[in-house]
Amino acid sequence: MKIDVEKSLLWTATGAFLLFAVGAALTTIVPPMVSPEMWKSDYPVHEYTEQEQRGIQIYLSEGCVYCHTQQIRHLDSDKRRYGWRLVDAPESESWEYVNDRINFLGTKRTGPDLARVGGKYSSEWHWAHFKDPRNMGEKFPNRKGVYEKVSIMPSFDYLTDEEIKDLTAYIQTLGRNKNWRVDKDGNPLNDYEK
Amino acid sequence: MKQDTAAKTMIISSCIFFGFALTMGILTALKFVVPTVGDIEYLSMPRLRMLHTNINLFGWLLQANMGILFWILPRILHTKLFSEKLGVAMGVLYNLTIIGGLVCIALGKVKNVEYGEIPPPFDYLVAVCWVMFLINVVGTVAIRKVKYLYVTVWYTLGAVIWTTFVYITGNMLSQMPVMAGSNQANLIWFYVHNAVGLIFTPLGVAIAYYLIPKQLDTPIYSHKLSMIGFWVISFVYVWTGAHHMLHGPSPHWLQTVSIIFSFSLIIPVMAVITNFFGTFATAPRGKRMLGPIPKLLMMGTVYYVFTCLQGPFQAIRSVNEITSKTDWVVGHAHMALFGAFSYYAMAGIYYVAPKLAGRKLYSEKMGDLHFWLMTLASIPFFAVLWIGGVIQGFAWLNPENTFVETLAALKHAHWMRFSTGAVIFGSYFLFFYNIMQTFFGKYSEDAEVEAETVAAE
Repeated sequence: MKIDVEKSLLWTATGAFLLFAVGAALTTIVPPMVSPEMWKSDYPVHEYTEQEQRGIQIYLSEGCVYCHTQQIRHLDSDKRRYGWRLVDAPESESWEYVNDRINFLGTKRTGPDLARVGGKYSSEWHWAHFKDPRNMGEKFPNRKGVYEKVSIMPSFDYLTDEEIKDLTAYIQTLGRNKNWRVDKDGNPLNDYEK
Repeated sequence: MKQDTAAKTMIISSCIFFGFALTMGILTALKFVVPTVGDIEYLSMPRLRMLHTNINLFGWLLQANMGILFWILPRILHTKLFSEKLGVAMGVLYNLTIIGGLVCIALGKVKNVEYGEIPPPFDYLVAVCWVMFLINVVGTVAIRKVKYLYVTVWYTLGAVIWTTFVYITGNMLSQMPVMAGSNQANLIWFYVHNAVGLIFTPLGVAIAYYLIPKQLDTPIYSHKLSMIGFWVISFVYVWTGAHHMLHGPSPHWLQTVSIIFSFSLIIPVMAVITNFFGTFATAPRGKRMLGPIPKLLMMGTVYYVFTCLQGPFQAIRSVNEITSKTDWVVGHAHMALFGAFSYYAMAGIYYVAPKLAGRKLYSEKMGDLHFWLMTLASIPFFAVLWIGGVIQGFAWLNPENTFVETLAALKHAHWMRFSTGAVIFGSYFLFFYNIMQTFFGKYSEDAEVEAETVAAE
């Protein structure tokens, strides 16, 4: 039997589906089977509290992810930039995210990466920053008024104090699954929490 | 029900959505230069951005493509649309769904899926609409009165089948309770990339495959190239989702696989492009660029070349190190969805609208003006995003630069983006006015023909 694909609805449709299905299966179903670190962890991973989960919902609906990624890429420039007190930030690995039911890895950095921001600033600092972020950054020397401030982050002063606390609680957990902010002898440098 | 009602409904509402999408875009661009504008919850930059992408993708581009195909498919297949009633019902349901989804986004009820923020139940309704579209497409092909299936039909069939799986994977399966972390991210990027690659590419290319030969009155350049383009893209495109995670927290092998296949995309793209340019080259020289339709098709193809050459190279690890996460990506995405596929869709609407209205286009000259304004503004618009992106990418390499300093370096690029974007926004109204006049306006065709003969003399 000679099959003329161009005359047959069935063969065109089946062919297009089968060719697609090979790649679709190998890039969605197979990866978690071959690389289990995508969904399970050999190390302890932080479980979010109720307050932090409310924070996640706010992070989601305010769309923070459209300007802030949450991944330290395996690049020296990323590790250096998002490090802390001359300690390089360790790169993000799959297992750190296994409890992130809603992931915020992100695709665009208009603002800095937040993967390791937890504990870097005090919660008071975050509160002030959410209220008026543009006032806390650098300024253009020769400009006036609204054009003076370099930061373009929108202010979130419409969030209630309670919501800002929830959001901050979530942000303070970011990147803490690796205990990386230590001095040379391995002593923790988490001075904001003390 | 009157023939082509479905096509007409969808084309008119897509033109209206296009205006809203561009409004959101221009407001987002304005926020980058004057961040204090509209500093309230519902107009915050992320909400505007989500509205911008979703209105563009679903309200404008997908709807316009479906409307145009509702007109094209019966013509190629020498038959009527399988079910006009189903088409109209789907059009109405689809528009209500999209409006509902957009209201949810504005209120901040969203999913964490880029390009798929529309939350349940509206995303499920989009899937229902899509299945209704699928039934209509397959049904129309089944009742055809010609033997052979033309390239446009292959691509449309491919798109309706692939998209069903891509949409469900990205919007429903990725939200299942067991999905988390980089596994969820992998599914979402599978959707994000294939939304462009297996929804808008095949639909846009399908329209161009019909319009280019038809408009130029020339047979398609090479049948073999059409086949290579279609069968290779159906195999290759779907593998590339993980290239959004290069250097990131996802398995290294998966990244490498996505790089290899991203690079292989040069094959189907070059086949399609050679075919389009070949058709242009063999068309009668004197009239091949008359009016807005061939111009839009030509420029859309040129943008398609550029965006599809950027793609494979961006996926190389060393290039990706600089371009990824910067404004470059925004420029790339705009050139694919606005430059290439919106141009094809606009050409399609310029072609189909007069046929639906049963008379000539309101004004060819206005169409030309729209094309030139939009094109001359979009070239610097894309370019400034790439230049800004490269500046940003290199600025990040130096740890001496604080983050805000690297942002300050983009101030001029952002101003440029806003001002060129404003011209694009302005030229949209020429397009909209022209199409609305063609459908509903009162004008006598004879007057225009007379004016043209007078001008010619």
